Amino acid sequence: MALVEISNLSKVYESHLAHRALDNLRLEVESGEFVGIMGPSGSGKTTLLNAIATIDEPTSGHIRIAGLDPLSMDKDEMALFRRRQLGFVFQQYNLLDSLTIAENIILPLSLDGLPVREMEQRLSAVADKLGITSLLSRRIYEISGGQRQRVAIARAIIHRPALILADEPTGNLDSKSSRDVMETFAALHASERTTILMVTHDAVAASFCSRVVFIKDGRLYNDMYQGGQRQAFFQKIIDMLSLLGGDSHDLNSARLP
Amino acid sequence: MTLTQLACRNVLRNRRTYAAYFLSSSFSVTVFYVCALFLFHPVIQSGATYDGALQALVAAEGIVYLFALLFVLYSVSSFLRSRTQEFGVLLMHGMTRRQLYRMVFLENMLIGLGAILTGIVAGLLTGKLFLMIGASFLDVESLAFYVDWRVLALTVSSFVLLFLTISAVTSLLLRKGKLIELLQAGQRTKAVPEASWRLTAAALALILISYALAATATVNSIYVRVVPVTVMTVVGTYLFYTHAVLALTAMLKRNKKTYWDRTNMIAIAGLAHRLKDHSRMFFMVTIISSVAFCSVGFFASVTTFSDDLAADYPAAIAYVAKSGYDGSTELQAIESELELMSLPYEKWSMPIQYAAFHTTTSPDTVLPLIAYSDYVRVMLISGQGPPAPLLEGNDALVMLGSQRDRTLLDVRPMQTYAMSAASIELREIGYTSAVIVPDHLVANDDVPGNGEFSGLVVSDSIMKELHNEHQMEKYTGYYVSNLALTSGVAAELAAEGLIRHSEEQSYALAISGTLFDVRSSLYSTMLFIALLIGFVFFVAAGSFLYFRLYAELAYDRRQYQMLAHIGLTERELRRIVTRQVAWLFFGPFGLAILHSVFAFMALQQLFYLSIAARLGSVLAGFVLAQGLYFLFIRNRYWRHIRKSWR
Repeated sequence: MALVEISNLSKVYESHLAHRALDNLRLEVESGEFVGIMGPSGSGKTTLLNAIATIDEPTSGHIRIAGLDPLSMDKDEMALFRRRQLGFVFQQYNLLDSLTIAENIILPLSLDGLPVREMEQRLSAVADKLGITSLLSRRIYEISGGQRQRVAIARAIIHRPALILADEPTGNLDSKSSRDVMETFAALHASERTTILMVTHDAVAASFCSRVVFIKDGRLYNDMYQGGQRQAFFQKIIDMLSLLGGDSHDLNSARLP
Repeated sequence: MTLTQLACRNVLRNRRTYAAYFLSSSFSVTVFYVCALFLFHPVIQSGATYDGALQALVAAEGIVYLFALLFVLYSVSSFLRSRTQEFGVLLMHGMTRRQLYRMVFLENMLIGLGAILTGIVAGLLTGKLFLMIGASFLDVESLAFYVDWRVLALTVSSFVLLFLTISAVTSLLLRKGKLIELLQAGQRTKAVPEASWRLTAAALALILISYALAATATVNSIYVRVVPVTVMTVVGTYLFYTHAVLALTAMLKRNKKTYWDRTNMIAIAGLAHRLKDHSRMFFMVTIISSVAFCSVGFFASVTTFSDDLAADYPAAIAYVAKSGYDGSTELQAIESELELMSLPYEKWSMPIQYAAFHTTTSPDTVLPLIAYSDYVRVMLISGQGPPAPLLEGNDALVMLGSQRDRTLLDVRPMQTYAMSAASIELREIGYTSAVIVPDHLVANDDVPGNGEFSGLVVSDSIMKELHNEHQMEKYTGYYVSNLALTSGVAAELAAEGLIRHSEEQSYALAISGTLFDVRSSLYSTMLFIALLIGFVFFVAAGSFLYFRLYAELAYDRRQYQMLAHIGLTERELRRIVTRQVAWLFFGPFGLAILHSVFAFMALQQLFYLSIAARLGSVLAGFVLAQGLYFLFIRNRYWRHIRKSWR
């Protein structure tokens, strides 16, 4: 059984002009997959991610994550579900600048009331893995964007969630930092079999995924698998994007490898 | 869009941040207007109130104005600081500095004029209410509602001047900073200032020493201590917020067991962040609140003096004919008036003998003396029971002049007196158990630290020995069962109820009933004014907090939204928000209460009766008001925060 099962998911934004952001979308993500979601602006990528993240409520359809049905939960259960089953990485890092790096990372654990000793053990393990041990006592404003995103990843994985959701994690980064962050994701995926779902505009970032799903007008358009050759995969993604007719900024020449 | 339109839109669209500032300014205008309304009221101008009420009102007017000036200046400068980035954007797009100053000036004047208008309308609407309350406090029949152009003109011109001055001054505040610095303001990139352990220790030491000095102050030392203790407390409080609090939170953070426990981390770190950024604001709020508590507390306690009054003036009417005057005309007038009122009275007359002594402390003192048998008699007539110590030989009892003297009993050493003329030596052995002759009715040299005791009770034999017609005065007391009934008696002799011995009259006179009325009206005037001013201070302190909260609403919202995303339940978030707002509201407030409690402990030394009950109720009133204000702001704030993720 797939880790994430989405069926017939629709989302209609009601305003003076109704807009169908998701249209009977189907998607399955197996445990241990690293899935990139791509598509032109307005295709519904972020709406999909928000629905999976239980931040936004779909109009109709079913979502099952790790055998649980978040749509049937009440608000508090949803919050606990997010806290325990999901890890988040945002474009804007969303780290608390009143906390140190270490405190930001252990936030999900401390909210769940884990003993201090266990939090410290997990913190040093995660920091070690991501190479941010030397940053732990610093403040957010003292470190670079790439380092911030690695801290955000550490926070997203420290509680060993079933699924990590990343929303444009490289959107605010230069190409060097982007590569660092994506390599971190790829290494996590390779060594821990962590399941990652990432929305991105960046073809380079997407080429690190094991599978890329293309969405257009709220529907699943196509998906393709990496065959082990990242360079070739990148080329396929570029071809697909031009076929989709995305905006020109999706192909940022500065990001070409 | 013209510059004027831009200024108007800036104000109107930022109305939530401006609201508290605007309302407090309007409130100051209203209070100023109401004070002026009293000042110019025909009834008060015609002198229907007793002395002091008018001066107190003028003082109140001045305090409100001065405070409004400081308050507006501080608020405006902190508004400008919070908008630095916005100004940077405007400048980058080609606004000249001159235009920027004009825009800020226009904005300030817009808010100022709006506040004046609102304040005066509120003053006009609530004027009658305040006049009614005031009339009952001031003990005037009633104060008719009136609109006087002088009141309006004074209020409008004072506050237009105030806002003009401040708008001009704030333009100067803007005159600094490079464009790049303006644009980058608001990003939190400041390094955490390290708390200095030495200054932390200094802060705690200053506050603790002040507390100790205040708590152990005696009636003698209080006047010496009041200034240094106040200065030390203010400095200590400043250091407390700038250093000690940082050190305390750092200590709190070191204890991971509590700090890392659930939502504690977010709440404590957020608080530390706030404290660091706003230590000066917290300091101001604490000091302003302390001043409000202390002034209202002081004036509430002063009224206990009127409870003492019956004990201060045991005779309903006390009359002293000075030497060489027999006083029969006044006594007859008083008696006929009492009979006309058919008020039954007991009358007692006795001689007061003056005699010169030298004491251990002063070379030549003229002391009033009365005979022991008269003392016994007065005690019985005034219904205070027979006196305890029996007097023999050269022993003497010090006569209490008023209940205030009782605070001195523990610290005043017993003295001996050597008669200058004859070889008589008097030895103090104790005090009378009640006031016999009020201190204003006898001539007594005021020896500093010695109180205003009325003189000595000596044995009948010594009284006889010292007999000297030329230095003898005659006391006559009328004793009735209810002192209050004598209010207004002998008004043509003493309109305000008291002719002091020191006045150029051939007699001295005290009418207890009238005195009681005069004092209670004076005290309640002061209390009324203290409440008014205390309330202005209180509201201002609250509006600082409100402003802080809303200036950072956008930032806080982002933080809370992020927390909601990573899985904080609504209950947990609500707890964090409540805790943070509570800290903001009750932290400085609590410290101010603590300051006030110690100030009150010192104040108690000046009073014979316990003032704890009154002060307790004053503080309880403030706590209640603050609690309601907290609940109101917390709920509003929570609604704004919640909107961000639902």
